[in-house]
Amino acid sequence: MEGGSLIFITGGVRSGKSSFAERFATETAAKTNSRLNYIATGVPFDKEMEKRIDKHRQDRSKGPIQWITREQPVNIRELASSFNNQDVILLDCVTTLVNNELFSLGENVTEDEAAAIYKRIFSGIAAIRKNCRQLVLVSNEVLQEPCSEDQLLFIYRKLLGSLHREIVRIADEAYLVEAGVPILMKTGQGQEPSMSKTAVDEREIRCGRDRSQGK
Amino acid sequence: MHFVTGGAFNGKRARVKETYPDAVWLSAYRGDSFAKINPADFRNFTIIFEGLEAWVKELIAEKDPDDIRALFRDFFSRWQAWEKADNRRKVVVIGTDIHKGIVPVEGELRAWRDITGWVYQDLVKKCEQVDLIWYGICQTIKGE
Repeated sequence: MEGGSLIFITGGVRSGKSSFAERFATETAAKTNSRLNYIATGVPFDKEMEKRIDKHRQDRSKGPIQWITREQPVNIRELASSFNNQDVILLDCVTTLVNNELFSLGENVTEDEAAAIYKRIFSGIAAIRKNCRQLVLVSNEVLQEPCSEDQLLFIYRKLLGSLHREIVRIADEAYLVEAGVPILMKTGQGQEPSMSKTAVDEREIRCGRDRSQGK
Repeated sequence: MHFVTGGAFNGKRARVKETYPDAVWLSAYRGDSFAKINPADFRNFTIIFEGLEAWVKELIAEKDPDDIRALFRDFFSRWQAWEKADNRRKVVVIGTDIHKGIVPVEGELRAWRDITGWVYQDLVKKCEQVDLIWYGICQTIKGE
């Protein structure tokens, strides 16, 4: 696929995936002299979430390059035309995007509606990727839980799993972050993981250095 | 025997279909029983058992955890013996990883998760290959 590179970063809750993603995007922006953009998908619905979003915002403002933040809880495709190949974009996170798109439809979502959401999100990702230097996508690992037989939950999990699979398929690199340690799962188009830790270690070292320089 | 695991909707089925195009499939998701075919009567070379966690779930309400484990150990042993009798034969089991969330509040979900985990461990001991599928990417975590 033409356009910028696509990086997929996922992990469990509090795994450090967002900070790794921020370091990753910052490093690319610094290296390529690009703008650094943040697509926020979270809509705060209580005080705790407002606080959490604020903490993320403060963390980002400490970096060496200032972030341009855009709030886009649905229809990310709308943003595509505002970027070009001088933009590095971090979208955090795909799971929230799916939540926003899906749960706005209420309790009775059909498989067809879910398929339409899948297309809308995926084409949005493709459109943004086409118009940027690098697109970094963050998402959550939520598909390893025992679930009761709930139709909405089934549709949600299927939609999220399909999206993740398709994103990983077209991604240049994919990382699973465990307790702050990024594990390189895919490198290069279509390649299986070699589990070579070196690439990760090198990037970690570089990112770590960049961050300490920014302070 | 070959065990393929990973989270829900991570591409396990697609991977197994690609690896074993000519297999006979028994799927818990389609309502098949895992005991539908007796190894002694099976004439094909490759059999796929899909949805091990769902077969475990069906038994939770009626049997003790130890009995469920014993039942599956016996099931795996019979198919392992079948497989070993001819080197063209292959048994593949697919089971979804349901083990990484917070402890479920409902007792039945908790029991399901626990017993499934033990059954997986029993199975893996008998397998020469175990693959972990993550969004279509396959990591061999045992064998090969």
